[in-house]
Amino acid sequence: MLRTTLAGLRLHKSRYVTTVLAILLGVMFVSGTLVFADTLEASYEESVMGSATSVDAIAVPEAPEGQDEDGFPLDPVPFDEAVLDDIRALPEVSEADGLIRGQAVLLDPEGRAFGFVPPAAIAFGEVSRLSASEGALPAADDEIALATSTADQAGFGVGDTVTVLDPDQEKREFTVTGLVNFGVDRTYSFAGALVFAPETIQEMTGAEGYSEIDVLAAEGRTPEDAAAAVASVTGTDVPTGAEFGEEMAEASGADTQILRISLLLFGVIAMFVAGIVIYNTFAILIAQRQRELALLRCVGAKRGQVFRSVLTESFVVGLFASALGVLAGVGIGALGARFGGRLVGTDATASVVISPTAVIIGLLIGTLMTVFSALVPAARATRVSPLAALRTSATAAGLEKGTGWVRVVFGLLAFGVSAALVGMSQMTRPDPAGLFIVTGAALVAFVGVVVLGPLLVRGIVRIIGVPLRRVGVPSMLAVDNSTRSPRRAATAMIALTVGATLITGYSVVSASVETTMTKQLDESFPVDYQVSAQYSLEDTGSAEDPGTDQAEAPEDGGAEGPVTEDDAGTEAAAEDGATDEVGEPLVPDEVKETLAASPLLGKVMGERSTYVDLSPDSGVPGMPVTAYYGAEMGVDLQGETVEGELTDLGPGKALITEDHADGLGVGDTLAVPAPGGDLDLEVAAVLETNASFWGAIITPEDFTSAFPDIQGDRFLHIRAAEGADPAEVREAVYTAVDEYPTVQVMSVAEMKNQFSEMMDIAFYTIAAMLGLAIIIAVFGISNTMALSVLERTRESALLRALGLAKGQLRRMLSVEAVLLCLIGAGIGIVLGVVFGWAASSAVLPGLVFSVPGAQIAVFIAIAVLAGLLAAVLPARRAAGTSITGALASE
Amino acid sequence: MTESAVKPTSPVQAPPVVVARGLTKIYDTGGSQVHALAGVDVEFHRGAFTAIMGPSGSGKSTLMHCLAGLDVPTSGTVHLGRTQITGLRDGDLTLLRRDRIGFIFQSFNLLPMLTAEQNILLPSQIAKRKVDQARFDHVVDVVGLRDRLGHLPAKLSGGQQQRVAVARALLNAPEVVYADEPTGNLDSRSGAEVLTFLRDSAKDLNQTVVMVTHDPVAASYADRVVFLRDGRLVDEVLDPTAETVSERLLKLEA
Repeated sequence: MLRTTLAGLRLHKSRYVTTVLAILLGVMFVSGTLVFADTLEASYEESVMGSATSVDAIAVPEAPEGQDEDGFPLDPVPFDEAVLDDIRALPEVSEADGLIRGQAVLLDPEGRAFGFVPPAAIAFGEVSRLSASEGALPAADDEIALATSTADQAGFGVGDTVTVLDPDQEKREFTVTGLVNFGVDRTYSFAGALVFAPETIQEMTGAEGYSEIDVLAAEGRTPEDAAAAVASVTGTDVPTGAEFGEEMAEASGADTQILRISLLLFGVIAMFVAGIVIYNTFAILIAQRQRELALLRCVGAKRGQVFRSVLTESFVVGLFASALGVLAGVGIGALGARFGGRLVGTDATASVVISPTAVIIGLLIGTLMTVFSALVPAARATRVSPLAALRTSATAAGLEKGTGWVRVVFGLLAFGVSAALVGMSQMTRPDPAGLFIVTGAALVAFVGVVVLGPLLVRGIVRIIGVPLRRVGVPSMLAVDNSTRSPRRAATAMIALTVGATLITGYSVVSASVETTMTKQLDESFPVDYQVSAQYSLEDTGSAEDPGTDQAEAPEDGGAEGPVTEDDAGTEAAAEDGATDEVGEPLVPDEVKETLAASPLLGKVMGERSTYVDLSPDSGVPGMPVTAYYGAEMGVDLQGETVEGELTDLGPGKALITEDHADGLGVGDTLAVPAPGGDLDLEVAAVLETNASFWGAIITPEDFTSAFPDIQGDRFLHIRAAEGADPAEVREAVYTAVDEYPTVQVMSVAEMKNQFSEMMDIAFYTIAAMLGLAIIIAVFGISNTMALSVLERTRESALLRALGLAKGQLRRMLSVEAVLLCLIGAGIGIVLGVVFGWAASSAVLPGLVFSVPGAQIAVFIAIAVLAGLLAAVLPARRAAGTSITGALASE
Repeated sequence: MTESAVKPTSPVQAPPVVVARGLTKIYDTGGSQVHALAGVDVEFHRGAFTAIMGPSGSGKSTLMHCLAGLDVPTSGTVHLGRTQITGLRDGDLTLLRRDRIGFIFQSFNLLPMLTAEQNILLPSQIAKRKVDQARFDHVVDVVGLRDRLGHLPAKLSGGQQQRVAVARALLNAPEVVYADEPTGNLDSRSGAEVLTFLRDSAKDLNQTVVMVTHDPVAASYADRVVFLRDGRLVDEVLDPTAETVSERLLKLEA
C-alpha cells in the first residue's frame, strides 16, 4: 500500500507544487522567526556576558521603599564617595571604580536639543564593565563618547564635533572619540547616552555619587567573595559580574520574547491559511482520484488502508515541504538577524543560532498541519464505493448539489450571534474587554462565512455575473465555471478572506484612531504651534534643570521649579532634596513674552498644571489640575461634555473629565488640597474623556492663588493671527526660541504628520507580515485553478475546437481567478470594516469612524492583480494543451 | 485508387469542399517513428455524408483531426473551399474552426455548466455572430429538442446530449461538419436517432458531413464510406449497407 501511495505521489508531483510552496512559506516564517530571535538573543547575551564578566562584582544602589506623590516608585539613591572608599579598602577587593550618571543636553546638527528627554551623561573609571566598541573612551575634558544608538539617531560619528549644554545652558564643544554599545540596556536605550571623562562629568551634569560601582576581586579571591564583601558595605544585593550579565541577558530575553511572540502570531496566521490551502488541495485531489481509489477498493484495499494511504501521502508532502521550509527559514532568520538586528537595537555579532527547537517546531508544525488538514479529505476518500470504478462519469466532476438548509440555518445563526456580540460590545462604555468580545464576534462571523461560503460565492457571482456575461464569451464561461463547485471556490476564497479581513480591519482601526485623534486635536486645541521645554527624567530640584533656570527664580535655588511636594504625603521624598520627582521643566517667560508681542500670532495660551493628591495616604496617583492662561474656555478650547458647558467655567468653579469625576456631577463640590489654601470648587461641567483634557480644569485666577509656587508654563499653545503667512508665523515662533535650544517647538501640522507617519509605519509593517498569508492564499487559488484546469482538460479542448482562441481561453481562466480573489477580498473587506469599526469604537471613546478608501481601493487592486497572477500558470497550461491530445485522452 | 473510384451518378458529384493531398503524419514515440498517416489523398463533396472507417490504429481520427485543423500534418495539404488550412497559424485556424467548421465528438461534447440552448449557441457567441432565429428554430425542431432547451447536460440522456451537439454543429451552416464517433457512447436506438438526424440534415440543409466511425451500422447511414488501413486510403463504398461495410472491413482486417 505504501508503495502505491509513493508511486502515486511521484506520478502526480506537479499537483503538489503549490501546496508544498504554501506549507514551505508558513514553516519558513515560523522557523525563520525562531532562528532570528535565537540569534538576536545569543548575540546580545554574548555581548553583555562578555562585558559583565570583565569585572567580578557590580554594585547598584537600590531604590528606597515607597512611592512619590504621583505614585511612581522612588529613584535609587547613588552611593557616595565613602562607600567607594570602603569598598576599595576591602581585603577581597583589588580595584573598584564608580560610574557617575547625570544627564546633559546634546544639540543635534541643527542646533536644537536632541530627543524628548536629554540623554544620560555618564563617566566611569578604570574598572568598568563598559568599553568602547569603536574608537577610544574620552580621556580629556574636550572629549566625549556617544552611545552607538545616539550617534546613529543624531547623525554623528567618531571625529565629529558635538555641542553639549552644561547646567548653566552654556554651549560646550566636544570631539567624539569613540562609540559605546549599550545594547538594549533600558537605562540608556530610551534616551541615549553620552560618556564624558571622569573629570568633566561633574561640571557637565552636576551629578554626585555613583550609580554603579564595578569591582575587581583581589588576587586569590573569587568573584563571589568580592561580591559578598561589597554587599556588606553597601547593604544591597551585589551580583557577581556573571550574575549581573545573566540578569541583563534575561531582561533582553524578555524583549526578544515580545518580538518572538508577535512574529510567531503572524506565523500562526500564515500556517492557518496554509492549512486551508492544504485542505482544499487534498479535497480536490481526492475528488479527482475517485476512480483510482475505487479501483484500489475493488482490488481489495480496506477503508482503513485507503484512509492511511491518503494520510501517508499528506505526511510525506508535509514533511518534505516542512524540511524545505525549515531550510528557507534558517536562511531568512540569518538574513534577518544580520540586517534586521540593528532595527531592534542590537548588532547580531554571534553566528547564526539554529536551535533544535527551531528545526523541530518548524518540521512539526508543517507536517502536523498538513496531516491535520488532510484528515477530512482522507475520511471522504474512504467513502468512495468500489463500484465507482466501474461507472463512467460522462461529465467529469459534475455540478455540486445545492446547499443544505442546515448549512443555511447554521450560517445565519452564526451571523446573528456575531451581530448580537457586536451590539453588546457597543452597549457598554468603552472598555478593553470590548475588544475581546469583538474578536469573539469576528471569529463567529468567520465561521458563518465558512459555513455559508458556497452560498455566498454563488450569490455574489450571480449578481456580478450579470454585467460580466455581457462582456464576452470568456467572461460568461468564467462566471459559470466559478460556481461549478462552489464549495471548492469558497474554500479557496476563504483563505484570502482571512488576510483581507485582518488587513482591512487593522487599516480601519488605524484610520479611525488617526481621524479621531486629529479631530480631537483640531476641536479642542485649534492651535498651530505648541512650545514646551525638553522633558527631563532627572531631578529637577537642583540647579541643573535647564528650563527652570530661565524661569523667574525664587530665592531658594534648591527648591525652584514646579515644586508641588508641599502637601502632607511627600515628606519622604522631600527629605532628600536630590530625588524629588519627575521633572516638568517650564517654558522660559521670555519666550512667552516674545511670542505674545508678535503681531503674527493671534493667541498665546499658557498651560500650567500640577498634581494634587485628593486622598492622601491612599497611594492612588493624584489628579492633574490644569489652568489655561489667556484662553477663553469654550471658545479657544473646546471639548465634548457629558454634562454642562465649557463656558460655565468661572472663578470658584471647575471642569472635570469623566474619568476623574468619580461620580461628581454639575453642582457638586470638588475639594482640591492646595498649598495656597484648599479650594472648594463647584463642578461646572463634566467633560468626556479624551486625549486633550485630563483631570480638573480651573481658572488661572484660582490656580495662581492656590499654587503660588508654580510660576511658569509647561506648554504654550499658539494660534497664528488671522491671515498671517504660515512661513512668517513659523519664522516668528522659531526666532522666539532661538536662544533656548532645549525649548521644543511642535507644529501641529507636523505633529499630525508625525502621528500619521507613525500609524502608517505600523500599518505597513503589519500589512507586510500579513502579506505572507495573502501570498499563501494566492498560491491556494492558483492551485485550485490549476487542478480545475486539469479536470477540465477535455472541456478546454472542446472549447478550442469550437473556435475559442487561446487568448480567450486564458482570459476565461483569468476572469475566473480574479472573480474568486475579488469575492474573497470583498468579503474580507466587509468583515474588516465592520469589525474594525466595532473594535475601535468598543475601545476608543468619541470615535470618528473612518474608512480608508484609498487603502481599500489598493486592496481591491491587489486582489485583481493576485487573481491575474494566480491564473498565469494554469492558463498557460490550459492554452498550451494540444487539442487532439486532450480529446483523445480518457 | 481512391478518387478514381468515384462514380458519376452519386450525389458526391458536387464540387469538393474539402480536399486533402499527400497527407502524412509521423509521430515520434521515443525511438521509433509511427506513420499515422502515410500519404492520404481524399476529397469530400458538398452536401455529401461521408464515413471514414478502418480498424483501430488505422489513422482515421488523425485524418479527421488534420482535415479539421485540430492537428498539423507532417506533410501534405488540406484545402477547405479555397483556403489552404495547412500552414495557417493557430489564430487563423481557430477562426476557421469557429466560422467554417462544425464538430461533434464521441463524448464530452457539452459544457456541463451551460444549458442545452447555451451550448447550441456557444460557437455563435464565441464568434459574436448574430443567430438567425428561423434557422435556430428549424435546427432545434429537426433534432427534436424544443422542450429540453433549458436543461443542463446532466439532465439529458446520452442521445439527447448528442442531438444537442448535432444542433450546435449545424446551427451556423458550416462548410463541413466533422463527427468523431458520434454514436460511440450511445445505445443502438439513440445512435440510430442521431445518425438519422445527421443524414437528414445533410440532405435537407445540403450540409457536408464527415464522420469517423468503426461501426458498420453507423457507416451505413452515409452516402459514401472510405476505408483506411495503416494510414492509407485503401477502399471506398458508395451507398453502403451495414453488410457491405462489414464485409469490406473484415477483408481489411484479414
